[in-house]
Amino acid sequence: MKKAIITSLTDDRPGVIALISSSLSKCGCNILQVSQTILWSEFAGIFIVSVPESIEESELKVKLDKDLRGENINIHVKPLSEKKMSSKPSDRFIVTTFGPDRQGLVAAVTSAIARHNSNVVNLRAVFEGGDNPKENVMIYEIDIPESENIKSLSEDLNSLADKYSLEINIQHKKIFDNITKI
Amino acid sequence: MLNDREIYSTLDILNNAHLDVRTVTLGISLFDCVSDDLDRFKSNIRRKINFYAKDLVHICNRIGEKYGIEVVNKRISISPIAVAAAPFQENEMVEIAKTLDEAAEEVGVDFIGGFSALVEKGMTKSDKALIRSIPEALSSTQRVCASVNVASTREGINMDAVNMMAKTIKQAAHKTADKDGLACAKICVFSNIPPDIPFMAGAYLGVGEPDAVINVGVSGPGVVKNEIESALSSENETPDLGKLAELIKTTACKVTRVGELIGREVAKELGIPFGVCDLSLAPTPTVGDSVGEIFEALGLESIGLPGSTALLAMLNDAVKKGGAFASSHVGGLSGAFIPVSEDLNIARAAENGLLSIEKLEAMTCVCSVGLDMVAIPGDTSEEVLAGIIADEMAIGMINAKTTATRLIPVPGKKAGDKAFFGGLLGHASIIDVKNRTGKNNFVKFGGRIPAPIHSLKN
Repeated sequence: MKKAIITSLTDDRPGVIALISSSLSKCGCNILQVSQTILWSEFAGIFIVSVPESIEESELKVKLDKDLRGENINIHVKPLSEKKMSSKPSDRFIVTTFGPDRQGLVAAVTSAIARHNSNVVNLRAVFEGGDNPKENVMIYEIDIPESENIKSLSEDLNSLADKYSLEINIQHKKIFDNITKI
Repeated sequence: MLNDREIYSTLDILNNAHLDVRTVTLGISLFDCVSDDLDRFKSNIRRKINFYAKDLVHICNRIGEKYGIEVVNKRISISPIAVAAAPFQENEMVEIAKTLDEAAEEVGVDFIGGFSALVEKGMTKSDKALIRSIPEALSSTQRVCASVNVASTREGINMDAVNMMAKTIKQAAHKTADKDGLACAKICVFSNIPPDIPFMAGAYLGVGEPDAVINVGVSGPGVVKNEIESALSSENETPDLGKLAELIKTTACKVTRVGELIGREVAKELGIPFGVCDLSLAPTPTVGDSVGEIFEALGLESIGLPGSTALLAMLNDAVKKGGAFASSHVGGLSGAFIPVSEDLNIARAAENGLLSIEKLEAMTCVCSVGLDMVAIPGDTSEEVLAGIIADEMAIGMINAKTTATRLIPVPGKKAGDKAFFGGLLGHASIIDVKNRTGKNNFVKFGGRIPAPIHSLKN
């Protein structure tokens, strides 16, 4: 059985996952993994599905579009290779920033993380403006390869903190887990 | 994924208070080093300490850096020397202390504890040799710490040993008179000494312990104080003492979790078992790292004033409860420390005359240590000193808990004068001792005070 990854984007409303998953079922697809999120009022869903050998990806996209016609759901289908990205041994850290909103903040922080060959595995960023630093927050979960120097990444982040007047913390995830999860 | 509240509360603890691991202490058994040849014994212990401890400092620093939590002190505890070095005489014991000092220096640790004897029921020849050697051993070394257990709930109080320790402490003070009796800051007299204390000066590795083991001392009075202050300053309803005790308990739990994480990582890297977490509030002479500040945060004008014993009872118990829940193996002293010279606010209370030795003694009934780092007048007589030690031992014996004394009769100085010990040991005003040069015929009877009725548990 081959696999495909399907992304969907639409206005959020009750029943939107039911619509997409029913269409997938009608096409003979079996859902393996789903992740969804809502930003502002937009729904975004990513489905990894197994697809019957008899159906081509292009054909699947046409079938889904047809079935969901009138629902204003933007569907994208991409074949998924079996092989997973090889991951180096790494440690998971949490990077948090608090401080005034500026254009280019996410780009600056993620560029610093990328320069140290570290991978962002989860990101939440909220910029509400206002004086409360807790209303302008970025929380990154990142995997830092064991071969990387954490101190040097930490120094890079500190210089960003100075430049953008942010408070930046980087801390091993196990510390948060140990303190908060018992 | 962690939620935002979990992240904020953790960052508060990490960024706003002195959260660190106070000590990672590597216990090393010296029983397989025994020999009746002094040179061979010395070379055996040196080799063994080096074998286990050579990477201790480096690994602690690396793990501290990885987790952003500093391991402040790296230390070694060893089997009681009076047992491991049983064949040797007083002058040879001094030689052994010097070897321990060199071995500790070689591997870069600041203290090595276990120049110890366990004499609650009686003294062997080597116990006596070790105790007699303490003044010379500790004044001619930097890093060696001595502890002598003279009492226990099971065995009672060995008053001959108490008298001998009073004499030893006076001699040690005299030998380091130029440093305000500094050697005495490295001598602890115990009742019910635990075999796995990571904190100095009382650390030694007990007889029933493994060949090598990592014990961790977590601290964090600053964290507790901050949590209390922020709870009291929030706009919510003012918490009552039940709520405040709960807050201390949950904070102690969090702090202990961090300590255990670091300790287990160090043990894993060194390839030796993890022993216990000692969850104590251990202060340093730094602002924001004081147990005395917790008293002030909780509404007392100073530690030592009425209410102090009740407050300390609540604090000590909450710390134990939180820590016990956080860690599967809790040991050592586990509670709140009140070392006078090592805590800025406690030292200030002594200086202002708000903290007497009698009040300190009362407080030790409900906390985890004893009369710790208490500077007393240099002319306090041996028998009065023995009386103070015996009182403190009795508290431990009857209450089935650890108590200890670390008393410094500062040569040539009187009550109200200042004594300076330097570094972590801090400085303190000398506390008055009533009738300090008077007679004390009670202690001079010697012998053993029998064990209490509740020692008969079998």
